[in-house]
Amino acid sequence: MAAVEITEETKQQVERIGSADVVVGVAGAVSPEELRTRVGRIMQELGSGVSSQRFVFAWPAAPEPPAEGVPTAEDPTFALLPFSPPALGAAEFWAGISANQRAVLNLAASLNARVCIVLGQDLAALDPHTIQLFTYAILERQCGVVMSVYPAAKYDGLINTGILSPLSRALYGRRVRNPLAFDFAASGPLCASLARVSTAAESSGAALLWPVTVAATQFPQVPVGQVHIDVQHKVATEGLELSAVLGELAGSLFQEMDACASHWQRIRGSQVAPMWGNSSLDSPDGQPIDTQPLLDSFLLGSKSLDEVWRLLLPPNTLLELKRLTRVGPEQFRMPDELWASIVYDFALAYRLRTISRVHVLGALTPLYLGWVASWVHEVSNLGGAGTEQRLEQFARAWEEKKPYLLSRWRWPDRFNP
Amino acid sequence: MWQQVEQSLHSSMGLVVNKIATLLPGILAFIVAFLFFLLVGWLLSLLVSRILSALRFDERMGRGAHAMAEWSPRATPSLLVGRVVFWCFVISGVVVGGSALGTSEHIVSGWMLGYVPRVVGAAILLLAGNMLARFVSRSVLITGVNLNLSYARLLSMGVRWMILVLTGAMVLDHLALGGAIVELGFGILFGGIVFALSLAVGLGSRDLVSRSLEREAARPVEVAQPEKIHHF
Repeated sequence: MAAVEITEETKQQVERIGSADVVVGVAGAVSPEELRTRVGRIMQELGSGVSSQRFVFAWPAAPEPPAEGVPTAEDPTFALLPFSPPALGAAEFWAGISANQRAVLNLAASLNARVCIVLGQDLAALDPHTIQLFTYAILERQCGVVMSVYPAAKYDGLINTGILSPLSRALYGRRVRNPLAFDFAASGPLCASLARVSTAAESSGAALLWPVTVAATQFPQVPVGQVHIDVQHKVATEGLELSAVLGELAGSLFQEMDACASHWQRIRGSQVAPMWGNSSLDSPDGQPIDTQPLLDSFLLGSKSLDEVWRLLLPPNTLLELKRLTRVGPEQFRMPDELWASIVYDFALAYRLRTISRVHVLGALTPLYLGWVASWVHEVSNLGGAGTEQRLEQFARAWEEKKPYLLSRWRWPDRFNP
Repeated sequence: MWQQVEQSLHSSMGLVVNKIATLLPGILAFIVAFLFFLLVGWLLSLLVSRILSALRFDERMGRGAHAMAEWSPRATPSLLVGRVVFWCFVISGVVVGGSALGTSEHIVSGWMLGYVPRVVGAAILLLAGNMLARFVSRSVLITGVNLNLSYARLLSMGVRWMILVLTGAMVLDHLALGGAIVELGFGILFGGIVFALSLAVGLGSRDLVSRSLEREAARPVEVAQPEKIHHF
């Protein structure tokens, strides 16, 4: 495992600061002036509650030498630490974010921080309430990792809803809503582990940071918590292809599955991840969604990619998919068990390299769009509470299907339903 | 006269039997050499694969050999090395057996032995061409489907056959079979396809293609309505 390297300039800054109690890092380039203004305001609002704690606010930027002749007046309660961003090359959507997140965690480990809070580049979560929640969960509740829960509408973050969250829950036994989040926090002992990236993941380019996976596999006794933060991150989607992003996220999770197979195979069921903070009100549904384009993609995939799916999926699953292609648009429902087994089969095909991994991930997109169409049909008439119940039922189906994954993973040639 | 016919028949029969008798040792030598090298090659390939697995060769190669894994997903690097060792011994067995056959009867001339490297090169070309055709056609198919192109399968098949035809022409050229006919035939075929497509696009299907292109350009990039469904 390789740790993210700190440049000499950043090391000098770290030595100058010495140590910190709370490190708040931004995982992306920001305007230093805006950050300084907001940090000053936040520290004023936090006030006496945090007077005994030393904060360090870090962000990726070229380190600025102090202006000559001008004394740098440093506040004893906080320090600002620009760090050199990691060299990313042609990084994909999330890979760049994860690299910056690791850099922040590495800084926190170097500063012997008790809490490290990593925030998104848009600074939407940089406010006193969020910092207090994260700090409370880590210091008072002894959580190792604290993930964010955003006030997502039922049609937001569908890759997370449909694949990342239920798969992470079934594998690692932690009921976390967002296993891959822009904003999260980690305790001091976990920072160094989270900052490391496995050599295999680094060489394959799938080096995303999965905090829950690291916590569940390397620190299984440490609880994982969640906090509600009323923040909407604006993701710049221009130029992003769905299949590319789906491939990056699912591929990275499959890579982690392969690397941590000895851990998740021993885990049964799941633990509740405690939540703090107030969840915001449900946002209105708006107009009904036309799922015909999604169904068209699924039908085109089933017609054209049949020869590829036959290499990846067992006969039972192919039969079910064939049956779904004959169902009318209004009656189109993909059973939870079927979708879970499809993702498990794709994870296995990814591991075995049945075909090229790029092709495995590309062939998943039409199936995912079929699931989205089915999901939209199911939750369109449900309110907030109903959607929550449906999510819980969906996640349980993945846990109940885990023995199927175990059998296929251990005996890929023998067990083929 | 019949005596002369009988005499010539006897002598030609004798010649043929003599030839077969002189050929048999060579054929036996070829079979023995081939089987021996086959067995040795199989044993060595097994040994090499085991040694490389013990040395974790696959994991070390995995750091920088993703291109190889993507082109030939099922074969691990150690398995591929084992297969290379096996086929090297098989080819050596063919060469040794062939030279034994040639020594005994001068049937296998130096020219035939010199032809073996061409055959090996052509086999490698054919293998590489097939792998390339399979990989590229599958990439085109999956990308086309994800871009909602209804003719993705047709496009994929066209790409596969173009690569296979190109590979076939290169193999025949490498084997020096057909000579100028192969080159000419391939040039006419490829050039004809390109010319026909140009005419179709430029003249014959101008309206159809422009309508199709307009439809594609007007179609929104996102499959779902972007303002209502957010995948990430």
